[in-house]
Amino acid sequence: MRFISVLLLSACALPLMLAAQTSEDRLKELGRVARAATAMVDGDVCLHIQTRRSIEFLQKQNSRDPWIASDNFDVDHAAFIQTKKTLMRLARLCPEACDANLWMPLEGNPQRIQILIRNVYEMSSFWKWGDLHQPMPEEMRRVLTTGERVTFRGKRGMVSVLAPVYDSLNNIVALVEVVSQEKRDLQENVK
Amino acid sequence: MQARDSEFRFLFVSRLAFVLAAVLGCSAGNLLTLPEHLRPDPFGGIVEADRTPGVAPARSIVLEGARSSFVSCHLLAIMPQPGEYRLDVGAFPAASGLQVELYREWFHYLPKTKNYYPDALVPIASQYQSTLPDPDNRINKQTAQAFWVDIWIPAGATPGNYRVQAVLKADGKASIVPIEVKVLAAQVPADDAVAMDHNTYGTSWLATDYPSLAASAGPDFFTSDRFFELIQAYHRVFYENRGVFHQLGYGHGGKVGPEFAPRLEGSGKNKHIVDWSLYDRHFGPLLDGSAFAKTHFGPRPIQLVYLPINPEWPASFLWWGEPGYEKEFVNVVSEMERHFREKGWTNTRFEMFFNHKKRYKAFPWDGDEARFPNDSSYMLEYDRLLKLAVPSASPVKFVFRADSSWTLTRQAKELAGVVNFWVCGQGELAYQPEVARMLKERGDTVWTYGGIPVLTEPSSHITLQVLRPWMWGIDGFVHWLATAPGPDPWFAFQGGGETLIYPGDRFGIGGPLPSIRLKLQRNAVQDLTLLNEFRGTQPIERLRAEAARRFNGTEVKDWWSPRPSYADKDPLDRTNADEGIPEGPGFHEGLDAGAWQRVRTYVLELAREVK
Repeated sequence: MRFISVLLLSACALPLMLAAQTSEDRLKELGRVARAATAMVDGDVCLHIQTRRSIEFLQKQNSRDPWIASDNFDVDHAAFIQTKKTLMRLARLCPEACDANLWMPLEGNPQRIQILIRNVYEMSSFWKWGDLHQPMPEEMRRVLTTGERVTFRGKRGMVSVLAPVYDSLNNIVALVEVVSQEKRDLQENVK
Repeated sequence: MQARDSEFRFLFVSRLAFVLAAVLGCSAGNLLTLPEHLRPDPFGGIVEADRTPGVAPARSIVLEGARSSFVSCHLLAIMPQPGEYRLDVGAFPAASGLQVELYREWFHYLPKTKNYYPDALVPIASQYQSTLPDPDNRINKQTAQAFWVDIWIPAGATPGNYRVQAVLKADGKASIVPIEVKVLAAQVPADDAVAMDHNTYGTSWLATDYPSLAASAGPDFFTSDRFFELIQAYHRVFYENRGVFHQLGYGHGGKVGPEFAPRLEGSGKNKHIVDWSLYDRHFGPLLDGSAFAKTHFGPRPIQLVYLPINPEWPASFLWWGEPGYEKEFVNVVSEMERHFREKGWTNTRFEMFFNHKKRYKAFPWDGDEARFPNDSSYMLEYDRLLKLAVPSASPVKFVFRADSSWTLTRQAKELAGVVNFWVCGQGELAYQPEVARMLKERGDTVWTYGGIPVLTEPSSHITLQVLRPWMWGIDGFVHWLATAPGPDPWFAFQGGGETLIYPGDRFGIGGPLPSIRLKLQRNAVQDLTLLNEFRGTQPIERLRAEAARRFNGTEVKDWWSPRPSYADKDPLDRTNADEGIPEGPGFHEGLDAGAWQRVRTYVLELAREVK
């Protein structure tokens, strides 16, 4: 009787254990990719992605033109493409669909951060669709100040690992969010 | 198409007389009618935006229209006391071919203005029973229920006069409204004088707007037959109302909804299409026209469709600037061309269109509303790739579309022979008739884009968007978002600036409901299409001049704006705060609800001469 009970309990627990294992495996893989991102993403190039003009407009406000910052958002094409291609290659290291997004703090405003490069699955645990920049999440602040890799479980089954990006002076100038989703929403963000 | 002048006399009775008649003679129930442009309120009157001094609901109506068109009006069931009622709208003789389609008008509560406006149209049978106040609409002290009457005049109808009665029965008494339809010999052509386009993005909103349908289909909703039938129902509601429907199938980061593109496999020279099944289920009935088989206008393929092409599809942006990008793009687009050709989908224009903006942080250039000068080189490269992929003699129609505003003047010159379908910011084109002329002269298609007039604007305002492209000699107008009614369109409506349809889910209908504004737009399109036909017998300048005079007392030149001072600035130095030169009040607050009816009177004057 006891044997049957143990068998039944084991049978019930097995899917949960497998799910936990899968989740752990996913996290490990994302962590590996995030670690590679720190090695591969060039922080000096990242610093050249947004144009000086665009940075100056980024926090401008005009009550008669609510889109003044976004209408003037611009990037250096070469720096953007070089970094995006690196991020895309990093995402190919994930065994399942994942995105590697680049985030950078706002110059002169450490309370805010912006996503600067997104990728094809349009996933992020942090980005609110359409926001040009947003308040700095505590997890990101930790990465930028300590250099730690930080794991974050977002909504709708998203899991992100955040990793620092260094420039040639060994300053942390950006971070990469490597993100995947337990069950991908194929229709989300098609807009 | 119109309550004729003589019949308007019936309308010019005072509200007081109407109320007295209701109290003295028909206290049980009173059936009245209003012409289409005067929207009723739930208390027996006309909504504030459409009110005209001395005008009130009438006891009969005469409608006049050409063949292959609709004529429309409102019916009002008025009951001073709560109770049950029954409405019965009779049928025209079968031989006439005239068909009545009846809708219950939903009164939307607008918290901003704290009043009710009707818009959503719920289809009902010609015999309808309910109570007032309406238990569903839940309006305190409601005394009137409104109904929209559409009457279809088929191509084969014999010219002449036809009559039908609408009868309201309540508390054992009957109130009758005679509806007379004068059918003219004139015929509204099948091809519209201007294309009225309705845009939307992706399909995720369908699961939100149709929770019952999505729940019944289960987790596979987005690949179910019901899902594709729903999409086709959206195309159908616009098609039936002389409109075009566009659904963009990819996001700003290049994510393509699986139902919008064939499935690809491989990389570089090995990248190919491996599965058309979802694409064909989605688009097949739209591209061969079978989705429209049971409509008044018959089975015709959709005019236009977005391709899924974007910087990340079919070629991976990883290979941008490398040989692999060209290989992936050309191989896949060539396979698409072949598939479309083999299927015989040669009547629809397939649009390569870049909607992404760099502000959404996925690509370094703006495809939509380009502003920065160094973004144009990408458009030139995609033109080169498209021309490599599609044989020049292909019967499949690929077009290159660009939505242009800040840099319209520059792009129109730089992208000559590259872009051949322009969707222009209305404010930009307004002061550049020479650009419109240049684009048209080289054979390009030219539309403008903008929003949708909200419910609280006079009913005629939606017809301004129909008339303006025609006055400008261009081809169409895009409502940039026409399927988003907001979180609660029924009891806390935000005005409808982003929708012309409503989800039918709460009424147990697995498809979209049309709206009064959509019907008014449709009727204006059919009038204009008929008016445009008379350019064969008289100069179009004369037709335009008279339409403008009747619409808002203007001349054709008033429809173009003077060149504003900001036009000479570098586009990068411009802001949305730059003020253009405002149009006259006849284009805004001074445009009365009856504006289109005066144009219609003109069209009918011409149409009556047709034998």
